[in-house]
Amino acid sequence: MAEEIQLDISPMYEGERIRKDDLWVELGGPKADGFELSLAASMDEVEDGKVTIVGPDLGTVPEGSTVPFGMVFKVAGPLIEKDLESIIERRNHALLSAISGFMHLNQRYDIWMRVGKGLKKKGVTSWEQIFKPVTVLYKNEMPFIEKMEVTVYTDPAAVKEELAKAREVYKVRDDRAKGLHDDDVEVFYGCTLCQAFAPTSACCVTPDRPSLCGAISWFDGRAAAKVDPEGPQFAIPKEGLIDEIAGEYESINSMAEQRSGGEYSRMALYTFFDAPHTSCGCFETVGFYMPEVDGIGIVDRDFKGATPNGLPFSTMAGQTGGGKQIVGFLGMGILYYFSTKFLQADGGWRRIVWMPKALKERVKEGISEEMFAKIATEEDVSDLDGLKKFLLKAGHPVVDGVVRTVDSKKITEGWKFEDIDDDIKEKVIAYIEKTGGDIDTEKMIEELVMSEGQFMQVIEALQEDGVL
Amino acid sequence: MVKTEGSFAVEDMKNVQINIGAVIKEEDEWDQEMGPYPKPQVATLRDWDFKIVNRYRIFYAPADDTCTLCTFGPCDLTGNKRGACGIDQAGTCGKIVLVAVLMGTCAHTAHGRHLYHWCLDKFGDMPFDMGSDILVKAPLTESIIGIRPKTLKDFGPVLSYCEEEITQLLASCHSGQEGSYIDFESKALHSGMIDSLGKEICDMLQTVAYDMPRGDPEAPLVEIGMGTMDQSKACLIAYGHNLAAGAEAMFYTENNNLWDKVDIGGVCCTAIDLTRIAEGLGNTDIPKMIGTKAKVAGAVGWWRKMVRAGIMDAVMVDEQCVWCDVVRDCEPRKIPVIATNDKIMYGLVDRTNDPVDEIVSDLVEFRVAGVVVLDPIKAGEVAVKTALQVKPKRADIKDKLVLTEEEFKKFLDTCTKCRQCTYVCPPHIRISNLIEEAIKGNLEPFSSTYEVCVGCGRCEQACPQDIPILKLYEYANRDYIANQKFKMRAGRGPVRDTEIRAVGMPIVMGTIPGVIALVGCSNYPNGTKECYDIAKEFADRGYIVVATGCMAMDMSLYTDEDGKTIWEQYPGGFDGRNVCNIGSCVSNAHIHGAAIKVATIFARRNHRANYDDIADYILSKVGACGVAWGAYSQKAASIATGVNRVGCPVVVQPSSVIYRRAFLGRTDVPEDWKVIDARDGSLVQIEPAPEHMLYVAETKEEAMLMMAKLCFRPSDNSIGRMIKLTHYCDISKKYFGKLPDDWPIFVRHASELPIADKEPMMRELEEKHGWKIDWKAKKIVEGPIRPADVSFDPTNLPRKIRAKKK
Repeated sequence: MAEEIQLDISPMYEGERIRKDDLWVELGGPKADGFELSLAASMDEVEDGKVTIVGPDLGTVPEGSTVPFGMVFKVAGPLIEKDLESIIERRNHALLSAISGFMHLNQRYDIWMRVGKGLKKKGVTSWEQIFKPVTVLYKNEMPFIEKMEVTVYTDPAAVKEELAKAREVYKVRDDRAKGLHDDDVEVFYGCTLCQAFAPTSACCVTPDRPSLCGAISWFDGRAAAKVDPEGPQFAIPKEGLIDEIAGEYESINSMAEQRSGGEYSRMALYTFFDAPHTSCGCFETVGFYMPEVDGIGIVDRDFKGATPNGLPFSTMAGQTGGGKQIVGFLGMGILYYFSTKFLQADGGWRRIVWMPKALKERVKEGISEEMFAKIATEEDVSDLDGLKKFLLKAGHPVVDGVVRTVDSKKITEGWKFEDIDDDIKEKVIAYIEKTGGDIDTEKMIEELVMSEGQFMQVIEALQEDGVL
Repeated sequence: MVKTEGSFAVEDMKNVQINIGAVIKEEDEWDQEMGPYPKPQVATLRDWDFKIVNRYRIFYAPADDTCTLCTFGPCDLTGNKRGACGIDQAGTCGKIVLVAVLMGTCAHTAHGRHLYHWCLDKFGDMPFDMGSDILVKAPLTESIIGIRPKTLKDFGPVLSYCEEEITQLLASCHSGQEGSYIDFESKALHSGMIDSLGKEICDMLQTVAYDMPRGDPEAPLVEIGMGTMDQSKACLIAYGHNLAAGAEAMFYTENNNLWDKVDIGGVCCTAIDLTRIAEGLGNTDIPKMIGTKAKVAGAVGWWRKMVRAGIMDAVMVDEQCVWCDVVRDCEPRKIPVIATNDKIMYGLVDRTNDPVDEIVSDLVEFRVAGVVVLDPIKAGEVAVKTALQVKPKRADIKDKLVLTEEEFKKFLDTCTKCRQCTYVCPPHIRISNLIEEAIKGNLEPFSSTYEVCVGCGRCEQACPQDIPILKLYEYANRDYIANQKFKMRAGRGPVRDTEIRAVGMPIVMGTIPGVIALVGCSNYPNGTKECYDIAKEFADRGYIVVATGCMAMDMSLYTDEDGKTIWEQYPGGFDGRNVCNIGSCVSNAHIHGAAIKVATIFARRNHRANYDDIADYILSKVGACGVAWGAYSQKAASIATGVNRVGCPVVVQPSSVIYRRAFLGRTDVPEDWKVIDARDGSLVQIEPAPEHMLYVAETKEEAMLMMAKLCFRPSDNSIGRMIKLTHYCDISKKYFGKLPDDWPIFVRHASELPIADKEPMMRELEEKHGWKIDWKAKKIVEGPIRPADVSFDPTNLPRKIRAKKK
C-alpha cells in the first residue's frame, strides 16, 4: 500500500487549470479513451477505501504523456439504489477538482483529466494516494454512502473493454430516466432550498416536472432526501389525486400551503393557468400568456430582444418570481420542455406559439413533431400582428381551438371576435366585393389576418344585419 | 383562465394593459404601491439605525480627548467630563464621524448636482434608458424616494431631497444641538444612505448622457498605467472625479483629428469615467467607443509619482480626490494647470470669459502657472491646445525632471540616517536603509517599496538634508514607470437583472459563496498589490467579485505568469469566478442596487419607498461584504456608512482607525443575537451572522478571513453555509495555519461542515465543545445554537411578521 499523502483539498481549486508546463499526466480527453462510472453494489461486494489499479500506476507514467483512463466507483449502503448512481457520479467533477493539482473536466465517456507536477513534487506515486481521500470526500458529502471502493484502469485494453461496458450502463440509465414518468413513481420531492432568499417559494419536483432552476431532477431530490429526510429536499407521497390532467394532488397542495406559510394553498404540476407552480427567481425560462392569440410564448434569459408582445425577458421575469403564483406567467426549467406532461392541461406544445430560435433549437427533441414548424421565432415575427399572420398561415391549433393530446378534449374555442365592429364588417364586405364572392381561404387569411372561424363569425353577423 | 377577450389586465401588473393588436402601454402610475417611507427624513429610519447600532456596538477610539470645535474649547473630555456645551466624549466622537460622513456625502451629491446642470445644458433632457436587461433602473432612487425617473430631469427633485437632508444633518452638528452619540450615528447612517443616493444620481446621469455601458460584462479593455501615456505625443492629464471637462478635451481632440498628436489620460475616477464614454447603447451623437481612446494614468496614489516622472505636459483638475498642491508640484516642472470646477480653484485667476488663445498663450509662455476655466467646453479646448503648444517648450525641462545618475548618487551621499523620514512615512518605509543599499549599488529595495509608497511627500518635508526622496524613487524606477502598461476593463455600470437571476441558483446551491465588493481609495497598508491579491483570492474561490474606483485601477497593475491582468484572467460578469469593474466610485451605488434587486427579484419585496425593509432583507439574507482596503477620504467614510445602512458589513484597513469608529458585534452577549422569525413572530436565538458591521483589519490576511466570515447570514441554507464555512476555515488554514477559533458557532447541521475535514471537525465538536454526535448516522444530536431550518425567515422588523392568509 502506498504511503498516505496529505493532499491540499479545497473548493477553491475547482477552477484550477493545469497548463502544459505544469502537466505530469493527461488522462482521457481528446487524445485518449476515458470514462467514469459509479455503480451501486451490495454491502458485501464493496471493500471500503480499497483502490485497485489495473495497468501501470501513476509513478511509472513518463512526464508529459497522455494515457487512457477509466475509474469505477462502487458504492454501498442500505439506502443506496441504482437510481442514485448518476447523482453520485455527477459529484466527480466537484470532488476531484477540489484536489490541488488535479483537473477534471466533462463527464462520463468524455472525461478529460490532468495531474499536475505539483502532486509529483508532493510525493504522490500512486493512484491510491489520490483516490483513497476521494472516497472519504464522497462519504462526507453523502453520508448514505457507507462503503466506497475504486478501480482505476490504465491498461489500454482494459480501458477499452470497461468503457464498452460503461456505455451500456449509461444507455440503460438514460433509457430509465427518459422512460420514468410520474405514473411510475409513488413519491415526489419537494425543494425549499430557495427559501433562503424567497421565503414563500416551494417547489415540487417530479420525473415529469424537473425544477424550474434546472438544478434539481427527481433523482437529485431523491438523493438529497436520503441524505437528510428533514432537510430542504423531502419526499412528498403521491397521494390524494384531485386532477390527473392538471397534476393536482392533495399531498402537494398541503405541502405548498405548509411550506409557503399559507401564501398559497394549491399547486398543480402541469398547468399554466389554475394554481400553477410557483416560481422563485432563478427560472431558466419564463412562459407568458398572450391573450391576443390565446397562446403561450416562452423566452429565456439569453434572449436579448423584445418578444412579440413587446416585452423583453427582464420585464416579464419581473412579474414572475418571488415565490408567488402569478397567473399568466410561469417560470420553467429547460428540462421541462422534454417532458411528456409538459403543460398537458393547457394543450402542451399545441398551446405554444412563440420562442426564441436558439431556445427552440436547444429543446428541439422535446417539441412534438407536428408542432415544430408551427411555433414562431424572432426570425419569423416581431410583433403580435406578425405572430397572428404566422399562426394563421401555419395552421396553429390555437387558431381554431386546441384539442389537448392527453384526453382529446377541445379546451379552447379558437380565435373569436368578442365584438364585431363596423370596421371589421366593412373590411369583409370589401373583400367579398373584390373577390366577387369566390373566397380562397388561404388568400383571405393572408389579406384579412383572421381565421376562417372569425371570417364566418363576421359573415353570420352580416347575415343577421341583412347585408348578406 | 382561458380568455380571448381583447383587453386583459395581468394580476399584479395593474398598469400594464395588453390590447389586441397593439402592445403595452405603460402608464405614469407605478404598479407598486407607495411604501411607508418616501423621502425619509432625519428621524424616519431611526428605528432601523438603532437596530444596527444596538447589535453592532459603536466602538470609539478618539484621536483627541478634547473638543475644539467652538471658542469655549478646548474642552477636556477625559474621565467622563463634559464640554462647555454639555457634550461628552462619545458625543464628540459621534459628531466628528457625522461631519466626516457628511463631507463625503456632499462630495458625491455636489458632483451629482454639477453633472445634473451640465448634462441638461449640454445634451438637454434625455429619456432615462438603461436598456432592456435592467428592469429596476434606479434602485436607490426607487427605494428611498419612491419614484421611477423617466427622464434625466426627474433626478432634479431627488437631488433637492439629498440637499435638504444634508442641510438638516449638518445643522445638527452645531454646538449645542445633538448630544447623543447614538443619534449622531443614526444621523451618520442617514447621511451614508444619502451618499449612496447621490452616487446613484451621478452615475445614472452620466451613464445616460455620455452613453456609458449599461451593465456590459464585456465592456472593452482600456489601457492603464503611467507607461501608457505616449511620450511622443502631447500628454494631457485630467485629474479628479468629474468627467465634464476631460470629456470635452476628448471631443475637441476627436473633432479636430488630433489623436495622433495628443494623448489624454485620467487620474483617479475621472480616468474611469472618461474610458466609459460612448460604449453603451449607441443612441447618442457622441462618437462610438471614444472612451477607449482615453487612458487611465492611474489612481490618485500615483499622482505625485507621475508628476515627478514627467509623464504629462498639461493637467486639468476637476473635483474631489485631487491633491491641494497640484500647482506647487506642477509649476516648477512647467506643467500648466487648468482648474475646471469651482470646488478647486487654487487661488488662480478665473479666465472663463477670456478668449481661448489668450489663455493658452499665457499658459504656454509660462506667464501664469495655471488658470480657472469653468466652462468645460472652453476648458477642454484650452487644455488640448496648451498641451500641444507647451510640449516643444518643455522638451528641455522634461529631460531634467528625472535625476541623472550623478545627481542621484550625490543625494544618496547626503543622507545622515537620522530616520526622520521613516517616522513620518505612513507605511513606515525604512528610507535610509534603501539609501544605504543604493549606495552599494542595489536599487532593488527602492523598486520593491515603490508601490508601497503612497506618494504623500511627507518624507521630503521631514528631511533635514532636503533630499528629494520621491525623485530618488523615480530615478530608481524609471524603467518600471516606462513599462507600467496594463489593461483594465472599462467600468461596466449596473448589474443586470438577468445576471442576478442567473446567479440565484448557484448561490442557493452553494456554488457561489458570496459577493465581495472592493471599493475605496489608494492608501493601502502594504502597497497596491494587496487589492489584486484580495480580488484574486475570492475570485478563485468562486465568489462574485466587484470593484470600483481606485481599487479597480490599482488591481489592474499586476499580471499572472501568462502576463494577463486580473481583467484578462476572469470574465467581467456578475457571477462566481468573475471580476467586474462596476465603474468609478459613484458607481458604488450599483452595488447597493444589486443587493436591492436580489430582494425584489427573489422575494418580490416591494422596494418602493421601503428602504428599511430592503435593508433588513439584505442584512438577513444577502451574503455580501465590502472592503475598503484603502480608505483615506471622507468619501470612504460615507461610502462605508451607506453600505452599513443597507445592511451590508464592511472591512477597512488599519489607517481607517483615524475615523476612530467601528461597529462591532459581541458574540459574548447572546441577547444581541435574537431575531424575529417572520413566519410566526417568534424570537429566535441566532449565530452571530454577520458578526460585525464595520471592522478594522490589520493585515490583508486578516481582512480576507473576516470578509469570508462576514458573508454568513442567518438565512443561509445548509449547502450555502457549508461552502461559506469551508472558505472561512480554508482561508484561516491557508494564512494562519489553523482553523479559526470560532468556527463551531456557525455550525447548525453536520452537512454544513467542510467535506474535506468533516470527521476531525465533528470529533473536535464532541471532544472540545461537548456536542453530542450520533456517529452511526454521522449526525449532530446536540450542540448548535439552533438547528438548521431552511424555511426560517429572519427579520428585524415586526411589521414583516406574516399573518397567515385564510
